Amino acid sequence: MMTGGRSPGLLLVEMSLLVLLGPLVTGTIQKVKARLQCRAGAGVLQPYRDLTKLFRKGTVQADSASGFFRSIPVLVLAATVAAGALVPVIQAGSPALPLGDAVLLLGLLALARFLTAVGALDAGGAFGGMGASREMMLAPLVEPVLMMVVFSIAVAAGTTELGALAAQRGTSWILDWHAADFLGFAAMLVLLPAETGRIPVDNPDTHLELTMLHEGMLLEHSGPGLGCMVLASHTRQIVTLGLVSALFFPVGPADGTHATGLLLGAGVFAAKILALATYLALVESSYAKLRLFRVPQYLAIGFVCAMTALALRIL
Amino acid sequence: MVLVYGLNLMAGCYAAGALSCLLARWSGRLALVAGHMAALAGAVAGLGVSLGVLLGEPGLTLTQPLPVVFPFARLSLSVDGLSAYFLLVISLVAVAAAIYGPAYLRTHAPDAGRARQAAQGLALNVFLGCMAFLCCAGDAVTFLLCWEGMTLASYVLVVSDDRDGEDARAGLLYMVMAHGGTAFLLVAFLALTERGGAFDFAALRAAAGDLDDTTRTTLFFLAFVGFATKAGVVPLHVWLPRAHPAAPSHVSALMSGVMLKVAIYGMLRFAFDFLAPAADPLPLSWGWTVLIVGTTSAVLGVLYALQQHDLKRLLAFHSVENIGIILIGVGLAMILWRREGVGGVLATVALTAALLHTINHAAFKGLLFLGAGSVLARTHVRNIEELGGLARRMPWTAGLFLLGAVAISALPPLNGFVSEWLTFQALLGGAGRFHGPAGLGIVFSAAMLALTGGLAAACFVKAFGVTFLGRPRTPHAEHATEAPRSMIAGMAWLAALCVVLGVAPGYAMRLLDAPTAGLLHGPGASAVVTARGPLVLSTGLTASGADATAISMTMVAALLIALTAIAWVLRRGAGGARSHAAPTWTCGMSPTSRFDYTATAFAKPLRLVFAALYRPRREVTRETAGTPYVVRRVHYAGEVVDVAETQIYHRAERDISALAQAIRARSTGRIHGYIGFVLGALFVALLLFGVVQ
Repeated sequence: MMTGGRSPGLLLVEMSLLVLLGPLVTGTIQKVKARLQCRAGAGVLQPYRDLTKLFRKGTVQADSASGFFRSIPVLVLAATVAAGALVPVIQAGSPALPLGDAVLLLGLLALARFLTAVGALDAGGAFGGMGASREMMLAPLVEPVLMMVVFSIAVAAGTTELGALAAQRGTSWILDWHAADFLGFAAMLVLLPAETGRIPVDNPDTHLELTMLHEGMLLEHSGPGLGCMVLASHTRQIVTLGLVSALFFPVGPADGTHATGLLLGAGVFAAKILALATYLALVESSYAKLRLFRVPQYLAIGFVCAMTALALRIL
Repeated sequence: MVLVYGLNLMAGCYAAGALSCLLARWSGRLALVAGHMAALAGAVAGLGVSLGVLLGEPGLTLTQPLPVVFPFARLSLSVDGLSAYFLLVISLVAVAAAIYGPAYLRTHAPDAGRARQAAQGLALNVFLGCMAFLCCAGDAVTFLLCWEGMTLASYVLVVSDDRDGEDARAGLLYMVMAHGGTAFLLVAFLALTERGGAFDFAALRAAAGDLDDTTRTTLFFLAFVGFATKAGVVPLHVWLPRAHPAAPSHVSALMSGVMLKVAIYGMLRFAFDFLAPAADPLPLSWGWTVLIVGTTSAVLGVLYALQQHDLKRLLAFHSVENIGIILIGVGLAMILWRREGVGGVLATVALTAALLHTINHAAFKGLLFLGAGSVLARTHVRNIEELGGLARRMPWTAGLFLLGAVAISALPPLNGFVSEWLTFQALLGGAGRFHGPAGLGIVFSAAMLALTGGLAAACFVKAFGVTFLGRPRTPHAEHATEAPRSMIAGMAWLAALCVVLGVAPGYAMRLLDAPTAGLLHGPGASAVVTARGPLVLSTGLTASGADATAISMTMVAALLIALTAIAWVLRRGAGGARSHAAPTWTCGMSPTSRFDYTATAFAKPLRLVFAALYRPRREVTRETAGTPYVVRRVHYAGEVVDVAETQIYHRAERDISALAQAIRARSTGRIHGYIGFVLGALFVALLLFGVVQ
């Protein structure tokens, strides 16, 4: 078996941390956006209030939906949180359990997306179909680029294990970056709005049928089911941000098992997530949503960056 | 030896099954059931033989001389690790098909005549027997005889289902393509047997030993074209999406899940066993061709699958895709083998990925074809636009189909993900070994593999969602009922395989030891991929032991189950929340099935994104009432035609017709003109002969 540094207990703590902090990231983005738009905005804890409200409500289920519909939110949430277990949050290094592979992480996120889209078609309304169709158009274009960004870093290290990648980078950040890292990071900045469902690719605030992607798929869910779906999308967002920070800004020292090291790691993680969340809020406030069929061109920028990064690594 | 008895038993069962068509003299149904039960027994015997060889002592090869039929050739069987592995794949799907078949044929075509039932039972057994013994063949004659028998029997099955012109044309195209491919194979085999002086594989190996590089490469490409035609590799795939859907569904499952793999078997046998140089790596041109062709097949296969509305045709295009994924692994293994330095295990990882994907694809594609068959048997409709709402009417079929859909979309925790993960790791390792354009080419292949996975997921959201979810769109779907139990049992067998191979793939590695070690003359799959124990997959322990990636599918599955349980508690909600049903929100109108998204609409965004490739044909005509502002009716017709068909086959057809026209102009009917042509041709031939001499 493996002899990694991160104990199963730590993995559990990291996973729970991601789930618990996910809504806070959304709240922060909303708050920053509101301030940028000269509004007071709701408090950063608003997503938690929304979630508690949803979990207290009853459900209304579409009468044409099949038996799968009830279990879709459960499975989507489980797959997303499982992806969270793979991200190194407060400590670098391989995990003690063989759970930490970037390809597996992308696979679990893809599973959540697949199930969400299946659930959207279940109720038999046009909105769900529209959301699912558009989401499944973008997903195949986003996933290869993400994979290439991961590969552009992994090919130098010879592994796709996130903890090992983070450990390999050591404590040096931008000063030690290879040219490929800058390009890979640029590709990641292009991808982030797409993967987290934000402007210029999707608009999480809209419920207008012509513009929504992800929200369209949630339309027939209600009560605790919707709560699970919303919690899953908060988690997905923080997991994606965590992936970026693990790939480009290494987490805390690999061998620091004492409390101060862990606390430091957690603090640094929070700062990095905050910075990336601010980036997302800035992009959302300063750009308009792209027309759906312009999005592939937008993603192509990311693809070119990622392939160039890979070329720089390999050639 | 008990395993030889097993081989005899397998032959006996398939022969008995073929002969049981005689029972149709009394009852067609009896003949059909007897034929399928004999096939089941044969498949079980095949399972026993293959497991016996694979789990037996390393390097075990079973040999058995066959009766002397031809005075010029001594026929024999020889079952080594690779043969046994493919025999295992064949037998696993054959078990499901034999269980599923009788009920399917009865439900789908209750008024079939005796002759048809007899022919189907006969052809199924011949088909299975030929495939099984093709993999066990020990000489070229047995191999080619079984190859031909497999083609002919599957042709009979393709044209046996419905008697319309479409199926007959599909069958004809299949025959023409298959025999074109066989011609290439025949040349490759005869060139080797002519040099070796005998037909058995040992002589072929010896004959290949002292070939020069050009001949070796020419022979490889001859064999590759022959096998690629059968495997349905782009651009030789045009017969596949027509012929596979035309067959009865359990035969479609066998053709897509198994018959294509037999071609992969041939390819591996030729490249690594017969033609491989004694101690040198394979020529680079082989591996790169296979890798490029595989990548192209994977991407084009899934792109065309996305635009299909015929459920079985869609699945057939996915077979093109999955053969492409297998070939990516095979090509990478060819490139890396003996080229990655001492202690390198990446070639083993790549070949393991390819072989694992072979069995995985057999399991999930078999499952999906059987699922499509259940839908077809109950609704008699293949166009998914006319279905919908079947999940409420056929819950078991829907659930099993969904499982297959998750598996084929390469999503964890099922088996499709495992083999694609291994392929990714091999590609990543390969990219690290080769600097320069070669590394970039490998990485590009990985990007295309990721694209393929994403598109497959999109395609199966469509296929499952439009077929099984929402409201029924036609009375066919409205009145559907659950499939008979034996059909569900056939599907459940393959679904169980998908789950086991996904959650505990480490145990399957033991089966891959003999073929990988035998072909690559190195460590077996389990020594490399499960070096850290059966529950953990890794890309092999490198010298430092630290920089290899490891995942445990078992732990992922356990984690998912635990999290699902927690989420289920959350889903129940706080404080006894009520739940009630209400109509779907359709902006205040009363919901009908016309609100559901159709398959065409679902695939439209991707059709627009890839319009440059698809070149969709679109016709819209409007009937207006005098003024253009009042539209009475709009007719819409859209179609996406395979670019290989339009660019290669249609052009070739035009050129051949033009040539024939040109020749016809010369055929004036005057005898002395013809004599002049003959003399001219003879003169040119003699001249060429002289130049060559």
